[in-house]
Amino acid sequence: MTTSSEVFAPSAAGAAGRRDPSLPFLIGGLVLLAVSIGLLFTGSAADPVRPFLGYLVGLTFWTSILVGMLFLVMIWWMFDSGWSVIIRRQMEFFLVGFVVIAVAFLPLVFLAISGSDVVAWTWIDETREKPGTFGMVAEDTLFLAKAAYLNVPFFTARYILIFAAWIGLAFLLRQWSFRMDETGDHKYVLWSRRLSAVGLFVAALVTTMAAMDWFMTLNYHWFSTMYGIWFFSASMRAALAATVLILFWQAGRKEGLRGLIQPTHFYFMGCLLLAFTVFWAYISFSQYFLIYSANIPEVTFWYNIREKSVDGSLNAWWWVSMALIFLHFLVPFLFLLFHKNKFGKPLIFIAVWILFFHIIDIYWNILPQKLSAEGLLGYTERGFVPHLTDLTAFLAVGALVIWAFLRSASKHRPIPIRDPRISESLNLHE
Amino acid sequence: MPRAPIIENARSFAWITDKVCGIVEGRAPRWWWIGFILSGMLASFTLMGLIYLTAVGVGVWGLSHPVFWGWAIINFVFWIGIGHAGTLISAILCLLKQKWRTSINRAAEAMTIFAVACAGIFPLFHVGRVWFGWWLFPLPNSNVIWPNYRSPLEWDVFAVSTYGTVSLLFWYMGMIPDLATLRDRVTMVYEKRAAEAKTAFAKSFEFAFYQFRRVFYGVLAMGWRGSNRHWSNYEMAYLLLAGLSTPLVLSVHTVVSFDFAVSHLPGWHATIFPPYFVAGAIFSGFGMVLTLMLPLRALFGLHDLITQYHIDCMCKICLATGSMVGYAYAIEFFIAWYGANPFEAFAFVNRAFGQYAWAYWIMITCNVISPQFFWFKWARSKLWLVWILSIFINVGMWFERFVITVTSLANDFLPANWNYYSPTAVDIFTFMGTFGLFGVLFLLFLRFLPLLAFAEIKSVSPQADVHGHAHGNTDKAH
Amino acid sequence: MKKIHGMLALFDTAPAIYQAANTVREAGYKQWDVFTPFPVHGLDGAMGLKRSRVPLFTLVGGFVGFWTGMFIAWYMGAFDYPLIVGGMPYFSPVFPFPVAYEMTILFAAFGTLGGMFFFNRLPMHHHPVFNYEKFRRLTDDQFAVVIEAGDALFNEEETRRFLEELEPLEVVAVYEDEEAVSA
Repeated sequence: MTTSSEVFAPSAAGAAGRRDPSLPFLIGGLVLLAVSIGLLFTGSAADPVRPFLGYLVGLTFWTSILVGMLFLVMIWWMFDSGWSVIIRRQMEFFLVGFVVIAVAFLPLVFLAISGSDVVAWTWIDETREKPGTFGMVAEDTLFLAKAAYLNVPFFTARYILIFAAWIGLAFLLRQWSFRMDETGDHKYVLWSRRLSAVGLFVAALVTTMAAMDWFMTLNYHWFSTMYGIWFFSASMRAALAATVLILFWQAGRKEGLRGLIQPTHFYFMGCLLLAFTVFWAYISFSQYFLIYSANIPEVTFWYNIREKSVDGSLNAWWWVSMALIFLHFLVPFLFLLFHKNKFGKPLIFIAVWILFFHIIDIYWNILPQKLSAEGLLGYTERGFVPHLTDLTAFLAVGALVIWAFLRSASKHRPIPIRDPRISESLNLHE
Repeated sequence: MPRAPIIENARSFAWITDKVCGIVEGRAPRWWWIGFILSGMLASFTLMGLIYLTAVGVGVWGLSHPVFWGWAIINFVFWIGIGHAGTLISAILCLLKQKWRTSINRAAEAMTIFAVACAGIFPLFHVGRVWFGWWLFPLPNSNVIWPNYRSPLEWDVFAVSTYGTVSLLFWYMGMIPDLATLRDRVTMVYEKRAAEAKTAFAKSFEFAFYQFRRVFYGVLAMGWRGSNRHWSNYEMAYLLLAGLSTPLVLSVHTVVSFDFAVSHLPGWHATIFPPYFVAGAIFSGFGMVLTLMLPLRALFGLHDLITQYHIDCMCKICLATGSMVGYAYAIEFFIAWYGANPFEAFAFVNRAFGQYAWAYWIMITCNVISPQFFWFKWARSKLWLVWILSIFINVGMWFERFVITVTSLANDFLPANWNYYSPTAVDIFTFMGTFGLFGVLFLLFLRFLPLLAFAEIKSVSPQADVHGHAHGNTDKAH
Repeated sequence: MKKIHGMLALFDTAPAIYQAANTVREAGYKQWDVFTPFPVHGLDGAMGLKRSRVPLFTLVGGFVGFWTGMFIAWYMGAFDYPLIVGGMPYFSPVFPFPVAYEMTILFAAFGTLGGMFFFNRLPMHHHPVFNYEKFRRLTDDQFAVVIEAGDALFNEEETRRFLEELEPLEVVAVYEDEEAVSA
């Protein structure tokens, strides 16, 4: 494999003489993050927890991309997949973003520990109003039954555990892959494969925990065994769509993947995107369908508030729900069925489309329920109105993740030149 | 780090053809006859059980208040689940371009179809008056009432019949090129066999058998002639059927899970049921594929076509899906507590420590613990161990359905309503007989149809590469 | 005199047939075919075949299946014999979804198989190529190119010479059935 390392010499040109493209992202990201945190701490008079939710939406979007990429990297290791190794490298660059997410998450943990009123997780403060009838959270039977899980110390421990697992897996997989570029030692392949086997279990566990802690407990009365898998499926879609965009960006760069990446790589990514579009729909539909069919009030209310107002009229979320069915599932599904749409501009279009509706999906999961002392079930719906924090948090976290990605991408080779499967990936044909 | 070869010892195309065709062209080995007769005898248990049931009524099964689903539904879900691995291997692994599937997909698809046939028996006879079974389908009947589309049982009718039909189409279409090869060899085989025949009776038998084979393979091969213009459409159709079978196979066990999950019964209403059932189905199916293929590999000397690599892959899939099932058990338990519904919490504690705890712990041991051996290479390479573990998986998955069906029904909301469920001898004989039925069908398949998809095996073998080198060896070329 | 169907050249490796297909296409022949015992990867490109149109049948089948499923649920449950069951509406797109879904797949699968048979004009149990005495090897381990007599460039002598330049195992003329000639 000596010949290939000469062909793909490290791109020193990127470091010397050129302007570092990542710097504006760092500065912009930090400024926007400061603004977002400011908004987060001040809260909002009309709806105290609204900035918190906006921050969570922005953070979740980028977290989901990273989580999906982590799973994909590990799944590819497990399958001993050959075609994907040059794509895997782009994900390895991106995985560094977990550190950014962990830091950006800290304000939320801090607010939870301080028991602030701006935190949307009602259960962190037992003196808050209990949903439904009058009284405090501390008097809520449903809360008391779950108090062993829903308490701030345990929540903080879980936050540490979740990020330790994500960052730890990402760190090792990155390091071993980069180190293999230098030494060409294939023991790293075996290590990565073994780590992935165990890592998939660990990641499945902590990702489920994250989905439950951050989104499901926004409404601690509600529960669904499927919820962790919903987050996994949404994350996989987001990660694939984001990777498609990264690949197109890299395909145009001389120090990136120009001349290395084949149309077939995009075709395969398009196929995976189609598969996970179907998987997301399957999971989302099954969850809805089972709750709809069994029609038990203790869980149906979660869907009711996403459909109707207290007076029975359709609310804004109903339209969002329809958009998720038809625009987040049906349109990408039909579009990706066609062979020619899995290449070039159509693929970019649908990747952007999916990412856009992915945000809507996150909104739909996080935003609607609003605690209220009135109403039969204690929740009314919050309108589908964007808030400044949504935008600033989204941009801030995004800019910082992209900054970290660019930094990482400029430090290492754009493809894993000494990976034992590299020639399969470079000589890919359908 | 070269890839493991899919075919060992670099066998030629002609060797592969002779090896696989030889299975159906030679005389039936003695073990085949023994197996066939024993399976036939075992299958007669099902026949007798069903005749008795039809004559007397469903009461001959151990169904009684409050457990009215009993073994019939357990066996149905068990057999349907077995079938799923066949479709997974043929469809999903095809889409994932897992070339190792080619050695096992044909037998696994056959397994799917025979398993669906075995599964179909139970709900059909569970309706009681089986001569009204056609009411399940949307056909006008004497009461002018149509089937109820709000019932998951009706969805099941559509899901299972579609599954059986599409699996059959897929299986058949995959076989067309191989049947053409068999067709083209019929005369050659006859000449050889006729020359060996000594007596006049043997000669006339050979001639009659020749005529049968000529028509049988001739008609089924549809005049396939290997034209590349045909292959082009064929490959596309195959890919599309794989693409259709994938969502189909996921939907079938999903719909089966709806039978339970749309109800209100504690332990049944869990949103995770669809993917959990699908994972369990694939798990049990791969268990069954291992159970069947390991002996066949030894009996027919298929070691070069079904290699240790194939067995490794199947073991790893068992490990992965077994662990997914373990994840579902864990999440169900957690949410049963977290949901703070006392009935739900009781249902799960009762499963683990109640009157059916023995079944629960068999399930956990077989499904969650036994596949963990597959982490280790030494375990995967000891074939007797793999075979025993595969049996454990089959047993464990049957008990999973037992635990789900029976514990929830036997101990529901009202303690005064509780009872202990036991099957009757008719239950046991009918179920055991389906293994005989499955055996009969599978042995007939072995004798008359190509056991391995050899056209596909050839297409993934190294000498099929038009550029004259194998994919796996490319890094040596540098 | 039997009518000639075409000129056949026999090969025994996949690379050889791939080269042969490339050469025949470049020579400008239109009515010709390649016979292989298994799908040879890359041969479609060498023959210059277009992407198969079978998906059309699949799509139509799936579409018809989905609406059939929805229609029967509406017709039977809400139109022909409305009956309240389980407090659910007579018709809703939600609960018949599993049925419509299964029908989609069923019809699409039939469409796919039917499409494959339609485009391949199968079943067709008689074809001149079957008359080739070594046809058995073409579904076993050998490969053949057949240039048909109907091709504009076909000339028995020239085509034979052209095929012989490809260094095949043999070049033979394939004839149609005698009945076919008299008919």
